[in-house]
Amino acid sequence: MAKLRNNYESSAWFRFLSWMKKGSSRMERDMIHALETEALPNQRSETEQLALDREREEKERRDRENERAIQDKLHLWSTRRGSRLVRVAYRCAAVLICVAIIYVLLVSMSEEPMFGQAENPVNNEVSARYIEDGLTETGSVNIVGGMILDYRAFDTLGESHVLFIAACSVMLLLRMNLDKNGRPTREQLDAEADDRKYEPHNDVILQKVSNLIVPCLLLFGIYVVLNGHLSAGGGFSGGAIMGAALILYVNAHGLTKASQHKLFGAKVFKYVTFAALAFYSLAKSYSFFMGANHLDSHIPLGTPGNILSAGLILPMNISVVAVSLKKKYSFYPLFRKGDF
Amino acid sequence: MIAWLQFILGALLITAGVVVLALSLFGVYRFNYVLNRMHAAAMGDTLGILLVLGGLIVFSGFSALSLKLLLTIVMLWLTSPVSSHLIGRLEVHINEKIDKHLKEVNH
Repeated sequence: MAKLRNNYESSAWFRFLSWMKKGSSRMERDMIHALETEALPNQRSETEQLALDREREEKERRDRENERAIQDKLHLWSTRRGSRLVRVAYRCAAVLICVAIIYVLLVSMSEEPMFGQAENPVNNEVSARYIEDGLTETGSVNIVGGMILDYRAFDTLGESHVLFIAACSVMLLLRMNLDKNGRPTREQLDAEADDRKYEPHNDVILQKVSNLIVPCLLLFGIYVVLNGHLSAGGGFSGGAIMGAALILYVNAHGLTKASQHKLFGAKVFKYVTFAALAFYSLAKSYSFFMGANHLDSHIPLGTPGNILSAGLILPMNISVVAVSLKKKYSFYPLFRKGDF
Repeated sequence: MIAWLQFILGALLITAGVVVLALSLFGVYRFNYVLNRMHAAAMGDTLGILLVLGGLIVFSGFSALSLKLLLTIVMLWLTSPVSSHLIGRLEVHINEKIDKHLKEVNH
């Protein structure tokens, strides 16, 4: 049982919280309260009061007029001279930035080796090593899978975080939150009312065909993912296929029916994305701290060609598919009505 | 002998499919109204692709490749009429002056 404390008001934590919230401590509040109660008995006569009131009204009126004049001036400036100034500055900045970028690109291009020479990096030992030793070193038959998830796993880590950040920013821009009391806001209700035109979906032909096709598509996506180290495919392409399947399902049956499934919810999106990214980062971000050096993972590579082979590539494919699938699916309801 | 028959049959099928596809492309550009153009496009999507892929199946004989081609045909025949149906449905729903394009048929 929690300890009962009757001196909570004077505890350090409460004072810290109230200081954070209001910017004033309890002591200051007490002082203000004392000042207010003391300053009250200060009676004025009625005529004095009237004169004061009139003066105040006069002052307020003058203030309002001043403000309006300033606003008019500002409006005039921003529509006539100001907008022209901004446009000119904008164009100048655009030209300057373009010239700077072109300069940087040209300089870096002039540092590059000539096209088609024998000692170019394209023809050097890196790609030869990928092709010759890729199978023995990564255990992946699919050379692209071995490359992007083993040799260059750090790059793919950044890629999956790019997907995650894209989903986050779309959510930030388009998602409509509940208001402070937990009730839906006006915008949300409007979007819901707009969306009701498309709900419920009653196109029987589309529904029957999607019932037939969506499981096949999901199965094919899973096959593409699990075979990522054996044949062409992998996390990103499998995620595209499965995300398209889910979007087809929502298109055919409507969001209200789809949202009854836990799989389509925002909570699942959150946890799945977090788990996948955390696993991937734990598995591969050591190269960030090791100076891009390889660290032996001590996972046996197995026989190339088996499903359970190639070390970390299969689980990392699965985590990549989780991120890209949830991202692709979450875009659809977000763009449609700003909610899951 | 059988290889020759295979080749001739496959070539005929592919030629017929290409002709159908060309006709449907011509129709898409020739017709003016959505539903007519959709009709032409749907013909190429189903019959033309069936003929071309059928010709490829005849070329490859009994193998895993021909099975995959068969599955492709099944997939396209399931999905492409549905998409045509959705386009037509959308047109019927949103076009207010659709009567202008319809001809009354008296039986």
